[in-house]
Amino acid sequence: MLRTLLLLLAALSIGFGSAQTSIEFWYAFSDAPRSGWIDDRIDEFNVTLAEQGLDYRVVGERKGSYRETLQAAVLAARQGEPPHLVQLFEVGSQLAVDSGIFEPIGNLGGLDASLYIEPVINYYTIDGAVNSLPFNSSSPILYANVQLMEQAGLDPDALPETFGEVMDACETIRASSVSASCITFPLHSWLFEQWVAEQGAMLVNNGNGRDARATEVLLDSEAALRVGQFMADLAVHRDYAYTGTLEDWSGSEAIFGNQEAVFFITSTADAGNITRAAADVGFDVRTGLLPIPDGVERNGVVIGGASVWLTKGNPQQELEVARDFVLFMTNAENMVSWHKLTGYYPVVDASVALLEDEGWFEAEPNFAVAFEQLLETIPNQATAGALLGSFLETRTIIGEALQRIYSGGADVEATMRQAKAEADARLAEYNANF
Amino acid sequence: MKDNAVFKSRVLPWLLLLPSFLILLTFLYYPAIQAWVLSLHRSNLFLGTRRYVGLDNFRLMFTGALADKYIQVVLQTFLYGFLVIAIGISLSMVIAALASQKIAGARVYRLLLIWPFALSPAVAGTIFLFMFNPDIGSVNQILNELFGVKPRWLDTPTLAFGLVVLASVWKNLGYNIVFYLAALQNIPYELAEAAAIDGAGPIQRFLRITFPMLSPMTFFLVFTNLTFAFFESFGLIDILTKGGPVGFPPMDAAGVSTTMIYQVTLDGFGGSGNTGLAAALGNVILFFVIVMTLLQFRYGGRRVQYGDN
Repeated sequence: MLRTLLLLLAALSIGFGSAQTSIEFWYAFSDAPRSGWIDDRIDEFNVTLAEQGLDYRVVGERKGSYRETLQAAVLAARQGEPPHLVQLFEVGSQLAVDSGIFEPIGNLGGLDASLYIEPVINYYTIDGAVNSLPFNSSSPILYANVQLMEQAGLDPDALPETFGEVMDACETIRASSVSASCITFPLHSWLFEQWVAEQGAMLVNNGNGRDARATEVLLDSEAALRVGQFMADLAVHRDYAYTGTLEDWSGSEAIFGNQEAVFFITSTADAGNITRAAADVGFDVRTGLLPIPDGVERNGVVIGGASVWLTKGNPQQELEVARDFVLFMTNAENMVSWHKLTGYYPVVDASVALLEDEGWFEAEPNFAVAFEQLLETIPNQATAGALLGSFLETRTIIGEALQRIYSGGADVEATMRQAKAEADARLAEYNANF
Repeated sequence: MKDNAVFKSRVLPWLLLLPSFLILLTFLYYPAIQAWVLSLHRSNLFLGTRRYVGLDNFRLMFTGALADKYIQVVLQTFLYGFLVIAIGISLSMVIAALASQKIAGARVYRLLLIWPFALSPAVAGTIFLFMFNPDIGSVNQILNELFGVKPRWLDTPTLAFGLVVLASVWKNLGYNIVFYLAALQNIPYELAEAAAIDGAGPIQRFLRITFPMLSPMTFFLVFTNLTFAFFESFGLIDILTKGGPVGFPPMDAAGVSTTMIYQVTLDGFGGSGNTGLAAALGNVILFFVIVMTLLQFRYGGRRVQYGDN
């Protein structure tokens, strides 16, 4: 309460006290390391603004979760007081476009999209225009407990790269003296989406919603059924461990950290944390590519995460300062420090070169796999990621379907078809707004 | 009663009622009408769209691909409501009867029993979440010591549902007990005394005297607990289970602890946000509560014994 009051007072004093125009940047991180990093960049940028004699000043504001940030931005824009920059997650992309309050940042000029890593910028390029600038991006990789693998008689130098190899490893683990489960990962639609993209398949029709508005969620495609079948295969001998709660990132991390599972699939953004936590407990972690279905060519991952959007309705010059701030925040040097702090990918090619030059990948081999996976990703519609207005509901529907298959032993095809019907109904409901 | 004994003026009673009316009008009647109007529209929070769709929102709920989900949610809300009311009221009646005995420290017991009522749903939910955490919760630590079992309270469908019921009952216990304690104070002691002289035991006295004498209060509490179960279960559920987990067939179309009011928030603010659909479901809840209240007054009201005749 007191803080809100102080913020209000601060806002008032800015409004009345000085002629400086503030450029508002709304973001969703609430943890100290990441929001602190942003605050530092803002301070640096404001110094350069002052040096250039410009009467602008960037002001960062935490707005809660991504969802709340989007809601707040939409409401503010409707009341005629939009912020300048808003950080949004990738699943909100279609909603953000449809809300009509944002201006594709590429339309403003002064932006060289070729500096960005292609599969990353690919996600945020809609109808040929760069809609928003990628900021924090990640993808899933495999983490393995080296000691448990050795104890089970598995070779830690040959990590499983396909579902079949995972199942083989699970069988070996079951037959061994290791009491830990074979594998854990958060039961999250995000992984399902990655597995579909790795097969070069679409999550929704109309070119993943990029040629035209999507009307169907392809949950009964061959690619989708392979993922469902993987959950069913894991269910036979209960090889998969999870807390039972959907999207429980920290729960799965705890299972792996307590050595209750040999393998773990989660975001590259956790590579630093997991390696450190494992060292505390006393085991080694090795990372590998995300295991994919057998018999398909590795197409690559969807590099989602979050990006920074520019809102309409502010004077041109303010928009340009806002754009310059994002370009500064995501420049090569800053992205290197961002990557080292969090494990998110640096989003520009030049950062990768900087990291290579200073020998970062030799020092931190677990990060190298993440990059290999990113750089080998083939830029196409599958890896660009799906666009659909009802993405949030669809994620829940997919998560529940996988849970039904694993926990309830439901039939794969019937379950996925039922999920498709539900997801299609929600999508049709959303599309009916237009 | 033909003429008004208390108020001389015709205007004064209306004047005194005015503040309540204004509040009801602003915060209850007007929003209720708005909710009904909204339920006839497809309205998206993010897009700022609002289009008249007639009864489409209701059709979407109860026909087509989503029907299984909504029907399950309605059914489990009724089961949840029944259990919360039945267990909550009978338990609090027994506890209140025990706590009103003239024993040493009765005041302290009463105070402690009322305490859960003072907690917000968020706090109550968090307490249960910690107690029933399958790995580190105190309940499982004790169960593991005694029986070597660690039930997975939060993700086994039946246990998760039971836990939400238990937490809701506990949260309401204080409220119910306060009212029962007050009602018990008003039962003339002579009745019990006379019955005791006639040879009635404690259980018989409870069933034949206390229980019927409490019926006006029970009547009132059934109604307030009903509104709790249908309108106010969001906080606890959001913290404890987030509406999950998905049940076993045929209860596998929705999370087993998703009540109607929880589904309202999911529809309205959770995903792409059709507030019209959420409003439609809100109206369905209101309809059920009105029907049940009417039934209660029609059939339950007859059994109530008021002691003043």
